[in-house]
Amino acid sequence: MADLIEVRNLNKSFGTVKAVDDLSFSVAAGEVYGLLGPNGAGKTTTLRILATLLKADSGSATIAGHDIARDAEAVRATIGVVNGGMGLYDRLTGREILHYFGRLYGMSHEAIERRIAELDDLLSLGDTLTRRASGFSTGMTQKIVISRAVLHDPPVIFFDEATSGLDVVARRAVIDFVREYPSADRAVVYSTHVMSEVEELCDRAAIIYRGRKVAEDSVAALVAQGEGRGLEEAFFRLVGRSEMQHGGVPA
Amino acid sequence: MIWRVAKKEIVSTLRDTRAIVSNLVIPLVLMPVMMLGMPLLLGGLFERQATTVTPIGVVGLENLPADFVSIIEAQNVELVPVSDGVQAVQEGEVDVVVRVDEPLADALAAGEPSLVTLVTKVGNMKSELNASKVQQAVAVYQQQVVAQRLAAAGLDPSVLQPLQVETVDASSVAERSSGQLSWLIPFFIAIWTLTGGQMTAIDATAGEKERGTLEVLLVAPVRRSEVVIGKFLATVTFGLSAALMAIVGFLLGGTLMSGIFLPRLGEQGSEIASIMGGGLSIDLPSVVVLVVSALLLSALVSALLLTVALFARSFKEAQSYIAPLSFLFILPAVGLQFKDLIGLGNEAYLIPVFNVLMLMDDVVRGNYDPSQLALVWGSMLALIVVLLGFAHRSFQREEVIFRS
Repeated sequence: MADLIEVRNLNKSFGTVKAVDDLSFSVAAGEVYGLLGPNGAGKTTTLRILATLLKADSGSATIAGHDIARDAEAVRATIGVVNGGMGLYDRLTGREILHYFGRLYGMSHEAIERRIAELDDLLSLGDTLTRRASGFSTGMTQKIVISRAVLHDPPVIFFDEATSGLDVVARRAVIDFVREYPSADRAVVYSTHVMSEVEELCDRAAIIYRGRKVAEDSVAALVAQGEGRGLEEAFFRLVGRSEMQHGGVPA
Repeated sequence: MIWRVAKKEIVSTLRDTRAIVSNLVIPLVLMPVMMLGMPLLLGGLFERQATTVTPIGVVGLENLPADFVSIIEAQNVELVPVSDGVQAVQEGEVDVVVRVDEPLADALAAGEPSLVTLVTKVGNMKSELNASKVQQAVAVYQQQVVAQRLAAAGLDPSVLQPLQVETVDASSVAERSSGQLSWLIPFFIAIWTLTGGQMTAIDATAGEKERGTLEVLLVAPVRRSEVVIGKFLATVTFGLSAALMAIVGFLLGGTLMSGIFLPRLGEQGSEIASIMGGGLSIDLPSVVVLVVSALLLSALVSALLLTVALFARSFKEAQSYIAPLSFLFILPAVGLQFKDLIGLGNEAYLIPVFNVLMLMDDVVRGNYDPSQLALVWGSMLALIVVLLGFAHRSFQREEVIFRS
């Protein structure tokens, strides 16, 4: 399948800290691609660059054929972003929030209502549509956060630590959604530090450590490097090898 | 897109009870309460104090002539003999003591100066009010004694006033009728725009950061300029609404004051009405100038609020940044009252904020120079554009958007 995301030699520093270090990867349509790494590895910075919120120091990337530096507005129209820290407008109902963002994405009132009905079937939005967000549980919040991100049916969606802080039911809703989302013209980038989620969801994954891509392969191949002790063991072996190769890059 | 962003901010603020109370209800209610409540309360207290028979201590009652005692008692005073004046006041036995050490009638008959000592607590309003009753009695008695002495000498009392001074007011009708309104109106607009706009400005910037919604908004295919202008328009809406509510409250208070309170004061009431600007009447072009100036002032305050609040990481941090901004408007408004004394030239019309306050003051006084309009409005517009440009740039700066 065609690549929906192409990242080439991306670099980004904050002062003396190298947050993203010569990172390259590509994601094909139909794929769930994992970015696996500990906190501070550079996963969020990478996704923020791809979402055009941050500017890369060097390197390039395209999303659905749109260059992130030259065509930022078109890139933003083709992506959806869900992260653990995202909130909602407390004083608006779920439906009002979805209408607000739908309009920002250039959708008509009727198109938004049709899409809300589809998402209601998929995520059981129920009360969240009529209640103000100030009264939402974490699970209800996450349903609207996901609905908001995919309202315009984007070909690419980024999940960044999207299950952080969620209870088991809400977490399951996110996992199920990510599993169902990819199709012939859609892909997901799933960024997390939770090994089991990558094993459960991703087709391929890159292990990121101190801004660098330490390894990239199918999840099955990465797990195999753990010699029967799972992805966590594989992660420590791969990161340990990288540390030796680079002599401990500053965090 | 601009309207969609603005509408969302407006709806969000309208559903915030705190914002509605502080933006719309407080300015509407506070102004009449301040205007009516204080004078009514103080007026009532003064009136009660003046009409109540007050015990006043006296040391040396036997030294006071009977006619002087009658004059004192006519001021609703009951003279109470005490042994030590200072001690009686300090211990709160009485609020004031009159002390006369020598027989007053003898000294006056001999034409010698006589001493009447008043023991009071300076700074204690009740003590000073009661002391004023004695002072009034002393003045009346003194006039009697002087009149008697002049008559005995065959002189007319007018010999004591060889010169008479008459003041002719050369100010225009508009100047005379504007009263305090000439600076109160611009002052209200500046202060209430700041107060009324800050909830929306903070909620739309630092509040979005704190909630984690700013990142979502900026990921949507909306231009940053549209985001800035949308949020700016919402801030102007609430800032201006608060200012209008304050002016409505002021006018309401003025109407109630002139209908209820001032008629009770007679001549003094008319004087107060004039000082407050009760006779203000301005023509249509002046109203247009005032409205445009108010809009520009409100826009300037809103642009400043948005720019400052965006730097904050949280609602509370933004509030602490904005609190000192009020001095930017209070100080020029206070300075405006002394502009005649300071003797400012045309260059003062280039000082941001102060210039528009001066222009509005001139308009209300009916002596504005149309050539200054371009100067003031032009400089205000330029500053608004600069501030919005700064806010727009801040919305593009990673270190501002992701400041944590």
